[in-house]
Amino acid sequence: MPMTLASREDVDVWDRSEMEPRIRHILERTVRLRDTGPYRPKSDAEVMAMLTGFFAAKGLEEIAISDVERMSGGASKEQFAFTLNHREDPQGERLVLRMDPLEAIAQTCRGREGEIQAIMGNHMPVAPVRWFDADGDLLGQPAVILGFVRGVTQPSEGGSGGVSGMGGRLGSLIDRLAPQYIDALATTHRFDWSRARLRFFDAPRGGGNQAAIWQVNWWSQVWWDCLVEPVPVVALAERWLRENAPVCDRPMLVHGDLRMGNFMFEEPSGKFTAVLDWELAHIGDFHEDIAWTMQKLFGAWGDDGVFLVSGLLPRDDFVTQYEAASGNRIDPVRLHYYEVLNAYKCAVMDLGQAMRASIASNNHQEVVLTWLGSAGAVFLSHIVQLIRKG
Amino acid sequence: MLPSIDLRISNIIKALEQVVLPALTGRERLARDQVNLCIGHLRMIAQQWRWAAAFEAGSFQAMIALAEEMQPVVDPGYAEELAQAIASAKAVEGRDLAEVEHAIVALGGLIDRIILGEDGKVALAPAVWEAVLDYGEKQALRERTWFAATGLDPDRQELPSIAGMMAG
Repeated sequence: MPMTLASREDVDVWDRSEMEPRIRHILERTVRLRDTGPYRPKSDAEVMAMLTGFFAAKGLEEIAISDVERMSGGASKEQFAFTLNHREDPQGERLVLRMDPLEAIAQTCRGREGEIQAIMGNHMPVAPVRWFDADGDLLGQPAVILGFVRGVTQPSEGGSGGVSGMGGRLGSLIDRLAPQYIDALATTHRFDWSRARLRFFDAPRGGGNQAAIWQVNWWSQVWWDCLVEPVPVVALAERWLRENAPVCDRPMLVHGDLRMGNFMFEEPSGKFTAVLDWELAHIGDFHEDIAWTMQKLFGAWGDDGVFLVSGLLPRDDFVTQYEAASGNRIDPVRLHYYEVLNAYKCAVMDLGQAMRASIASNNHQEVVLTWLGSAGAVFLSHIVQLIRKG
Repeated sequence: MLPSIDLRISNIIKALEQVVLPALTGRERLARDQVNLCIGHLRMIAQQWRWAAAFEAGSFQAMIALAEEMQPVVDPGYAEELAQAIASAKAVEGRDLAEVEHAIVALGGLIDRIILGEDGKVALAPAVWEAVLDYGEKQALRERTWFAATGLDPDRQELPSIAGMMAG
């Protein structure tokens, strides 16, 4: 049953206007542009023309774009590797263009991604951010341009993973990967965002429920903007999330999609080369990241039948090691809340945004979106279990 | 029906696997991924198509049963509207898939409104919470079974076959 929380910093849990401004901008832009589709996958020639125009606008001269290669992986952005040569860099650099189709499984901001990834490059391995175009003013659609990083997100041999890097098995690399994974989580949460002068982020107030309500309002607006078919459990989860929104004592940087599928490493060393996909990053409650990475869908069963968080560690070991590395204490009540929130987010993405983008034909790989959308009921089942666990 | 739906699906899968995929170069990774997903979708559709109308009708009946369970315990302000919605839903011809889908949207929309209670202004009875959770549990199991072939469900080994579920 609903838990009553009272704090001077609390917001009205049903006030749907309580949302981070840049997120509201992205969601409103999505609805405004929805009917301008359908989206057609870009050809190599179109990409070369877009990039040439962009770099010219950035003041580069004698620009040559070559070896354009469409990349696979991910369920969200249209990605191309390419080589850029220009007068100041005749040797050339291999880069990655990561741009928004009209709609994807998650509607996010390339400005936020570029900004936070550039900053976090000072703290952990990430793909270096070369440029970003937050609203597509120069490229024609929002995009970020990254340095190319080599590595894999699952072992080339012996690992098995599904679409978008879910549920892989890491085998003998576990001992090398687990400490780096924990360290990356702890480093993210220890990062002092308050000194970072972030342009594309706003922070919820600490000591109240605003961090939770900003997330509920983000994802519930996505659900109602995208609604294809009513799902009573999704509506029930929204009510539960509002009526049980916990206090966030101290907002921290939350990656938002921390799982092994977003950690790139070298073989055979197992050394991390990049933490990927910062597109869902925000300032909020660190329990959100912990609950996300603990999801069953992102884990794997060990040979001994024990479930491994992100395919790396048994849950208790994961908690112990994270707490030691971060200095944060995991509160089971808040962890439970964010498990519900994350299951809700996943259901919204799968059964809401992915379905709407597919129906509108606004993506470059609808066949992936409908495949992932098929997992929506997995999250509905989790929501029921978690709410019952109370 | 000649050629049958099963035969045509099987032919398309063979063409994709034995002609289209080998024709794609190693650089065409996205195209290869998408062809493989097309094959996966087709295999899944081959399992599902003969049950599709019955599956959707079952989902609709489950939603009507939820509405009937909610009826005696909803806030009085919703009682008449819900009774009318249930009557309209029961009048729908269950063999027409499009009509069923439309009716699910209509009835489900009212159920959503009741659950949210005009954004928290109307209380939700504990019995309604329980009814929605019970319905959600059963419906999620049906849908997980329906889409188990994606391999995305970490607990798919616990699920029955589609034929087993539909017979049950």
